[in-house]
Amino acid sequence: MDQLILAATSCDTVNEVVCAPADPVEFFEFARTPILMGLAGLIVVVSLVVAFARPKVVPGRFQMIMESLVDIPRNLGKDVIGHGAEKFYPLLVSLFLFILVGNAFEVTPFINFPITSRMAVSGSLALLVWFVFVVTGVAKQGVGYFGHLLWPPGIPVAIKPVVGIIEFVSVLIIRPFSLAVRLFANLVAGHTMLSLLLGSAVWFLIAGQGVGGRLIGLAWGTFGIAIYVFEILVAFLQAYVFTLLTSVYIGSSLHPEH
Amino acid sequence: MESLDSAIALVGYGIAALGPGIGIGLIAGNAVQAMARQPEAAGLVRTNMILGIAFAEALALIGFVLFFLV
Repeated sequence: MDQLILAATSCDTVNEVVCAPADPVEFFEFARTPILMGLAGLIVVVSLVVAFARPKVVPGRFQMIMESLVDIPRNLGKDVIGHGAEKFYPLLVSLFLFILVGNAFEVTPFINFPITSRMAVSGSLALLVWFVFVVTGVAKQGVGYFGHLLWPPGIPVAIKPVVGIIEFVSVLIIRPFSLAVRLFANLVAGHTMLSLLLGSAVWFLIAGQGVGGRLIGLAWGTFGIAIYVFEILVAFLQAYVFTLLTSVYIGSSLHPEH
Repeated sequence: MESLDSAIALVGYGIAALGPGIGIGLIAGNAVQAMARQPEAAGLVRTNMILGIAFAEALALIGFVLFFLV
């Protein structure tokens, strides 16, 4: 059981269902999250370099896969942002691929831990997006950006203060917060369900009492595997939704609705 | 009884998940209807449906996170 989980020290299934995580790497005091973040970044960079270092006009298989993966955020940017989207393709592609690989760590066999289930990772990505769309708005429209943001044209003067507060909270506070929480909570929920279902399946199978006790483990295991497949879908969907919302926010900074 | 905090938090999450559940159902149902009426617009409708579902689901997930904060 110890060997099935990377970076776990001891799993005592009789007394303790939960496996204790390994001690942080002594040299730099890294826990597993920064190591996995580095691994995710490395995987993204290496796949992009290997696929596009010497691109062929008739692409080989890996280049074709990476092209379709990279086309997803690029087409999102093109459709949603419209004019002037080319400057943001690197950001969108990086966000999409990093979040996709980070989420996919939940379903890779030896690293069942999604890095985006740590609020630090998810929160800093949302903070980055917030920074980008505010600075884009200010760069494009000057300080009048905040004027157009808080008081869209055509608001009756009588309710301007109320609308100002509502728009301020809705755009400058709720947007990054919900971006972070959406990614974070989806992954935490999936990770918790997988840990509970599959962990209890193994526990029942190993230490259940009698034949009935062990068969319950099989039921939990089946349900756990169904959730495992669902988590693969969730991993892709959450990366897509994050990138989509990023493009929407950047689009609304570049081309404010009239 | 011991503290009821966790139980109340759980009930709170359950109630908070009602609204987004209905909301997402409405969004997806109307999206399917729109796609059936005009299949050429399916891509556009699908993108906007995902957008709407993300917004509605965020509220349910905020409830889920707050359960763990109690």
